[in-house]
Amino acid sequence: MRLGIVRGHVTLSPAVPELLGKTLVVLEPVTMANLVAKNGLAGGRSLVAVDALGAAKGQMVAFTEGTEAANPYWPNRVPVDAYCTLIVDSITIGSPNFLEPEVSK
Amino acid sequence: MFLARIDGTLVAAAKHATLEGCRFLVAQRLEADGSYGPEPLVIIDWLGAALGSTVLVSTDGDIARERYGNTSPARMVVAGIVDQAQTPQQRAGRKA
Repeated sequence: MRLGIVRGHVTLSPAVPELLGKTLVVLEPVTMANLVAKNGLAGGRSLVAVDALGAAKGQMVAFTEGTEAANPYWPNRVPVDAYCTLIVDSITIGSPNFLEPEVSK
Repeated sequence: MFLARIDGTLVAAAKHATLEGCRFLVAQRLEADGSYGPEPLVIIDWLGAALGSTVLVSTDGDIARERYGNTSPARMVVAGIVDQAQTPQQRAGRKA
Protein backbone atom coordinates (compact mmCIF):
# COMPACT_ATOMS: atom_id res chain seq x y z
CA MET A 1 0.00 0.00 0.00
CA ARG A 2 1.11 3.53 -0.65
CA LEU A 3 0.18 6.60 1.39
CA GLY A 4 -1.88 9.41 -0.06
CA ILE A 5 -3.52 12.63 1.04
CA VAL A 6 -7.16 13.17 0.10
CA ARG A 7 -7.34 16.25 -2.11
CA GLY A 8 -10.97 16.05 -3.20
CA HIS A 9 -13.91 13.92 -4.24
CA VAL A 10 -15.21 12.85 -7.62
CA THR A 11 -18.81 12.30 -8.62
CA LEU A 12 -19.80 10.63 -11.86
CA SER A 13 -22.90 10.93 -13.97
CA PRO A 14 -23.38 8.77 -15.80
CA ALA A 15 -21.17 5.90 -14.63
CA VAL A 16 -21.00 2.17 -15.14
CA PRO A 17 -23.43 0.46 -12.71
CA GLU A 18 -20.56 -1.16 -10.79
CA LEU A 19 -19.37 2.27 -9.64
CA LEU A 20 -22.74 3.68 -8.61
CA GLY A 21 -22.93 4.48 -4.91
CA LYS A 22 -19.19 4.31 -4.36
CA THR A 23 -17.30 7.31 -3.03
CA LEU A 24 -14.35 8.30 -5.16
CA VAL A 25 -11.52 10.40 -3.77
CA VAL A 26 -8.66 12.15 -5.50
CA LEU A 27 -5.42 11.10 -3.80
CA GLU A 28 -1.99 12.64 -3.99
CA PRO A 29 0.63 10.02 -3.03
CA VAL A 30 3.05 11.06 -0.29
CA THR A 31 6.80 10.89 -0.89
CA MET A 32 9.22 9.86 1.84
CA ALA A 33 10.78 13.33 1.81
CA ASN A 34 7.43 14.98 2.57
CA LEU A 35 6.43 12.32 5.10
CA VAL A 36 9.62 12.87 7.09
CA ALA A 37 9.39 16.67 6.75
CA LYS A 38 5.76 16.57 8.04
CA ASN A 39 4.98 19.56 5.85
CA GLY A 40 1.50 18.49 4.78
CA LEU A 41 2.65 18.16 1.18
CA ALA A 42 2.40 14.93 -0.79
CA GLY A 43 4.28 15.26 -4.07
CA GLY A 44 3.22 12.15 -6.03
CA ARG A 45 1.17 11.84 -9.19
CA SER A 46 -2.49 11.96 -8.25
CA LEU A 47 -4.95 9.14 -8.75
CA VAL A 48 -8.56 8.31 -7.96
CA ALA A 49 -9.44 5.62 -5.42
CA VAL A 50 -12.62 4.17 -3.96
CA ASP A 51 -13.15 5.17 -0.33
CA ALA A 52 -15.53 3.27 1.92
CA LEU A 53 -14.14 4.72 5.17
CA GLY A 54 -15.29 8.30 4.77
CA ALA A 55 -11.90 9.99 4.61
CA ALA A 56 -12.10 13.78 4.66
CA LYS A 57 -10.19 16.23 2.55
CA GLY A 58 -6.66 16.61 3.89
CA GLN A 59 -6.58 13.25 5.70
CA MET A 60 -3.85 10.73 4.96
CA VAL A 61 -4.91 7.26 3.88
CA ALA A 62 -3.15 4.10 2.76
CA PHE A 63 -4.47 2.68 -0.48
CA THR A 64 -4.17 -0.72 -2.13
CA GLU A 65 -3.51 -0.88 -5.85
CA GLY A 66 -4.04 -3.67 -8.33
CA THR A 67 -6.57 -6.50 -8.44
CA GLU A 68 -6.62 -6.68 -4.64
CA ALA A 69 -8.33 -3.26 -4.67
CA ALA A 70 -11.47 -4.96 -6.02
CA ASN A 71 -11.45 -7.71 -3.36
CA PRO A 72 -13.81 -5.90 -0.95
CA TYR A 73 -16.54 -6.27 -3.59
CA TRP A 74 -15.89 -9.97 -4.13
CA PRO A 75 -17.58 -11.96 -5.71
CA ASN A 76 -18.86 -9.01 -7.73
CA ARG A 77 -16.54 -7.85 -10.46
CA VAL A 78 -15.94 -4.12 -10.31
CA PRO A 79 -13.62 -1.83 -12.29
CA VAL A 80 -11.71 -0.70 -9.19
CA ASP A 81 -7.91 -0.70 -9.06
CA ALA A 82 -7.28 1.60 -6.10
CA TYR A 83 -9.01 1.27 -2.72
CA CYS A 84 -8.54 3.22 0.52
CA THR A 85 -7.73 0.53 3.07
CA LEU A 86 -7.13 2.64 6.18
CA ILE A 87 -7.14 6.19 7.47
CA VAL A 88 -3.82 7.07 9.09
CA ASP A 89 -3.97 8.16 12.74
CA SER A 90 -0.25 8.39 13.31
CA ILE A 91 3.02 7.32 11.74
CA THR A 92 6.21 6.92 13.75
CA ILE A 93 9.32 7.07 11.62
CA GLY A 94 12.49 5.83 13.27
CA SER A 95 13.23 6.03 16.99
CA PRO A 96 15.76 7.92 19.13
CA ASN A 97 18.38 5.24 18.62
CA PHE A 98 17.58 4.61 14.98
CA LEU A 99 19.04 6.50 12.06
CA GLU A 100 16.82 8.78 10.01
CA PRO A 101 15.48 7.12 6.87
CA GLU A 102 17.43 7.93 3.75
CA VAL A 103 15.42 10.19 1.53
CA SER A 104 15.76 9.90 -2.22
CA LYS A 105 15.04 13.08 -4.10
CA MET B 1 8.72 -9.54 -4.40
CA PHE B 2 11.26 -6.93 -3.41
CA LEU B 3 13.46 -5.91 -0.50
CA ALA B 4 12.53 -3.05 1.78
CA ARG B 5 13.85 -1.44 4.92
CA ILE B 6 11.49 -0.95 7.84
CA ASP B 7 11.43 2.72 8.79
CA GLY B 8 8.48 3.02 11.12
CA THR B 9 5.07 1.94 12.29
CA LEU B 10 1.57 3.12 11.46
CA VAL B 11 -1.54 3.30 13.61
CA ALA B 12 -5.03 3.47 12.10
CA ALA B 13 -8.36 3.19 13.88
CA ALA B 14 -10.45 3.35 10.71
CA LYS B 15 -9.52 0.49 8.43
CA HIS B 16 -11.05 -2.26 6.33
CA ALA B 17 -12.88 -4.67 8.65
CA THR B 18 -10.76 -7.65 7.59
CA LEU B 19 -7.56 -5.95 8.78
CA GLU B 20 -8.58 -5.52 12.42
CA GLY B 21 -5.60 -6.19 14.67
CA CYS B 22 -3.01 -6.08 11.90
CA ARG B 23 0.47 -4.69 12.44
CA PHE B 24 1.28 -2.05 9.85
CA LEU B 25 4.82 -1.00 9.06
CA VAL B 26 6.15 1.85 6.98
CA ALA B 27 8.99 0.76 4.70
CA GLN B 28 11.11 2.04 1.85
CA ARG B 29 11.78 -0.11 -1.16
CA LEU B 30 15.46 -1.02 -1.57
CA GLU B 31 16.98 -0.72 -5.03
CA ALA B 32 19.89 -2.77 -6.34
CA ASP B 33 22.23 0.23 -6.26
CA GLY B 34 21.62 0.71 -2.54
CA SER B 35 19.23 3.66 -2.91
CA TYR B 36 15.68 3.78 -1.63
CA GLY B 37 12.39 4.18 -3.49
CA PRO B 38 10.86 7.67 -3.41
CA GLU B 39 7.57 6.72 -1.76
CA PRO B 40 6.97 5.02 1.59
CA LEU B 41 5.00 1.77 1.56
CA VAL B 42 2.60 0.42 4.16
CA ILE B 43 3.16 -3.28 4.72
CA ILE B 44 1.35 -5.84 6.86
CA ASP B 45 3.66 -7.75 9.17
CA TRP B 46 3.07 -11.13 10.87
CA LEU B 47 6.69 -11.96 11.58
CA GLY B 48 7.60 -9.11 13.94
CA ALA B 49 10.10 -7.27 11.76
CA ALA B 50 12.16 -4.77 13.75
CA LEU B 51 12.78 -1.15 12.92
CA GLY B 52 15.72 -0.81 10.56
CA SER B 53 15.64 -4.44 9.43
CA THR B 54 15.52 -5.47 5.79
CA VAL B 55 12.55 -7.59 4.81
CA LEU B 56 11.28 -9.42 1.76
CA VAL B 57 7.92 -7.98 0.72
CA SER B 58 5.47 -10.01 -1.32
CA THR B 59 2.99 -8.04 -3.41
CA ASP B 60 0.77 -11.06 -4.00
CA GLY B 61 -2.50 -10.70 -2.15
CA ASP B 62 -3.27 -14.43 -2.18
CA ILE B 63 -1.44 -15.17 1.06
CA ALA B 64 -3.29 -12.31 2.75
CA ARG B 65 -6.60 -13.40 1.28
CA GLU B 66 -6.12 -16.86 2.72
CA ARG B 67 -5.73 -15.31 6.15
CA TYR B 68 -8.23 -12.46 6.01
CA GLY B 69 -10.83 -13.83 3.62
CA ASN B 70 -11.74 -13.18 0.00
CA THR B 71 -12.91 -9.63 0.63
CA SER B 72 -9.62 -8.35 2.06
CA PRO B 73 -7.79 -5.63 0.13
CA ALA B 74 -4.47 -6.58 1.80
CA ARG B 75 -1.68 -6.94 -0.70
CA MET B 76 1.83 -6.19 0.57
CA VAL B 77 2.95 -8.48 3.38
CA VAL B 78 6.30 -9.19 4.98
CA ALA B 79 7.18 -12.62 3.57
CA GLY B 80 10.50 -12.91 5.39
CA ILE B 81 13.15 -11.06 7.34
CA VAL B 82 16.45 -10.90 5.48
CA ASP B 83 19.54 -12.40 7.11
CA GLN B 84 21.91 -11.35 4.37
CA ALA B 85 21.55 -9.95 0.87
CA GLN B 86 24.43 -9.32 -1.44
CA THR B 87 24.40 -5.84 -2.97
CA PRO B 88 26.56 -4.56 -5.85
CA GLN B 89 28.59 -2.44 -3.41
CA GLN B 90 29.39 -5.45 -1.26
CA ARG B 91 30.50 -7.40 -4.30
CA ALA B 92 32.71 -4.51 -5.41
CA GLY B 93 34.14 -4.19 -1.92
CA ARG B 94 35.00 -7.87 -1.80
CA LYS B 95 37.00 -7.64 -5.02
CA ALA B 96 39.06 -4.69 -3.79
